[in-house]
Amino acid sequence: MAKTALYEYPAELREEFEATEDIHFRDGSRATAADVWHFMTEIGPKRYPFAYTQKKYAGSRLSRDIHLPSAIKNHYLLLTMNDRINKSRENGAPVIFVQGGQSVDPYYAAGGIALRPASVGLWARGRHEGLGLNEEAIRSRNQREKANHAISFEACQTAGYANIQEDDLPVDMVAPFTCLRCSDISYGVEAHRHGPNKAVKLMNIDYPMRHQADKPWAVEYFARNLRRLTSEIGKRAGREVTDDDLTKEIKLHNEGRRLAIDTAELWWSADLPPTNGVDRRALYQMGGMEIHGDPSASLTVLRESNAYIRERVKRGIKAEGVVDKPIRLFVCGSCVFPNDFRIEEAGAIIVGQDNHWSDISTLVAEEGDPYQNLAHAILSYPYEQSIEKRAEWTIEQLKKSRADGVLFLYQWGCNTQSAIARMLCDTIKRDSGIPTMIIEQHEGGSEQSEQLLNRVNAFIEML
Amino acid sequence: MSIKRNFFAGVDVGSLAAKSVILEDGEIFATGLVPSGVDSVESGLKALNLALETGGLIQEDLTYIVGTGYGRVSAPYANKAVTEITCHAKGANYLHPSVRTIIDMGGQDCKAIRIDQDGAVVDFAMNDKCAAGTGRFLEVMAGVFKVKLEDLGALALSATELVPMSSTCTVFAESETISLVARGEKPANILNGIHHAIANRISGLFARVGIASDVFFSGGVAKNTGMKTAIEEALKVTIVKPEIDPQLIGALGAAVLARSFSKKEGLWA
Repeated sequence: MAKTALYEYPAELREEFEATEDIHFRDGSRATAADVWHFMTEIGPKRYPFAYTQKKYAGSRLSRDIHLPSAIKNHYLLLTMNDRINKSRENGAPVIFVQGGQSVDPYYAAGGIALRPASVGLWARGRHEGLGLNEEAIRSRNQREKANHAISFEACQTAGYANIQEDDLPVDMVAPFTCLRCSDISYGVEAHRHGPNKAVKLMNIDYPMRHQADKPWAVEYFARNLRRLTSEIGKRAGREVTDDDLTKEIKLHNEGRRLAIDTAELWWSADLPPTNGVDRRALYQMGGMEIHGDPSASLTVLRESNAYIRERVKRGIKAEGVVDKPIRLFVCGSCVFPNDFRIEEAGAIIVGQDNHWSDISTLVAEEGDPYQNLAHAILSYPYEQSIEKRAEWTIEQLKKSRADGVLFLYQWGCNTQSAIARMLCDTIKRDSGIPTMIIEQHEGGSEQSEQLLNRVNAFIEML
Repeated sequence: MSIKRNFFAGVDVGSLAAKSVILEDGEIFATGLVPSGVDSVESGLKALNLALETGGLIQEDLTYIVGTGYGRVSAPYANKAVTEITCHAKGANYLHPSVRTIIDMGGQDCKAIRIDQDGAVVDFAMNDKCAAGTGRFLEVMAGVFKVKLEDLGALALSATELVPMSSTCTVFAESETISLVARGEKPANILNGIHHAIANRISGLFARVGIASDVFFSGGVAKNTGMKTAIEEALKVTIVKPEIDPQLIGALGAAVLARSFSKKEGLWA
């Protein structure tokens, strides 16, 4: 079969890009913009051809907003995930699999690397080189199928566990905050009981549910669990974890969170969308300091990007491929979002998402006992509160982002968000008047089914 | 001096049939309906060419074409693509401006659509991805009873009893039907149960979007008299009678939009 041509960054962009800032890593090393350019133009296409696909709706393809350095640097960090994590592990940093939507400050404070399910997937993807778009999709789908065969009940995002159990991804610990937003933790427990890779330590960090942020016992209980966590990771990293370590880490992560909030407010205030939806999501997500497996690297890119977005907003620069006055959609729900390329082709744009934004936009107090501060912040995540409170917070985000409509998406098998969706959407619609639509996604894959996109397109037309 | 005539076409490529409607200014001029093949582009073109032939036109005579249905993303002949939800709303509004609620049952899904006085969608809900409660579901049942799809509704209406049936899954329902046949239930009574099960399933969609008169039934399944009666009973409504084949409503709405888009784009005054 003839191979289709891969995307190439325009050579004339090189000089402009190489004048941008270096990426600083946690271990003190750095990648200059020239290093990034070399990797993305020479090495990347050979090792990871799927990302260079010309297929316009492929979710994993490179951003075409080539004058936004973060778009290229974000892809660089995603494509180098396997190399960097292997190096960190060789230097003694344990890798810990955590839950989606949780903060990662304590894991890094203890010398570990915390990866949520999506990032574990990115790491696993990086271990299989030379795959084209379809080959990579088959590999990824096979992993999900293996995960589905391994359990006796329905669960949604099981690929993270499958990568550990079936693909021998060298994760050192599985230590999520339990009871948070998802039902897939139960899968994790079952996978550990029945999976072949029992050497991976499972440690559940119990999260007391239901309005606990103002209850001293709950904060104290969760803080104790966080201490247990950092102590366990510290043992594996060969170091004693002090309160000061956690305070320093909280300050670093707060900087990321503040930058993401500032970037979001700038983006939302703009008359013309300063980035496309994919780049916007990457920028907000960098504030969670988790996506690249290196908070320092994420912070470098976020700092630089913030200045670019400020400039674009000031000068009224619109991102390429986005219409002047798009329909503004806000996405609710975990793990799934509609295909940005199709949304933008239909004349809309996604302006925000409650998933992750809940933890990114929750700052942690920096004075006093860091464990208590962190526990209090985590127990305050709006996404984990009662439906009424979550709806109230979501409406605030809708107002700030000037959203025209809400799409609530959840993965088939997600027993938590599927139960919440209807009541949350009804409350949002009742209290804000903003139209909502609920969609269940049945299968993986970033291009999504026509049935799903048909609903989204009809919703956009209705708005 | 001859006056230039303006023709606008809508092409609706669905999972089971491809349909087209050509409007001359505001009036229906010609229509085409063919079974959908495996090639979406070809199916749409066949339906369009049939309407063109019927009207004695060629494609170059058309001022504007709007594509709709699942095949709209593969319609290089169309100037614009619009979802069938919007098109059914426009089509029903064109025929009956008093319509505020549409039940659209096609080959692979069914939709509950609420519209305003201008035919704009104000809310909608669709069945899940499973084919239960759709044209495909009825097609499977026609196969089980070895009757023609178009005879299914009349057979259901001849029932003397209502056999309880589930409509959760096409495959499960097929097994359930075979069990009922084996137990000696009369085909007409089973079919009556099937039609009512589908109608009850649709009621769930209307629980989300609400119902307001007048109510219109579009899509291929709307030709099934048994289904129309079952829906009227389940929703406690009277469905307005369409003047044209209800399977053409999506294509009609697409043609109405083609006229409107081309005017906005200054292609005619």
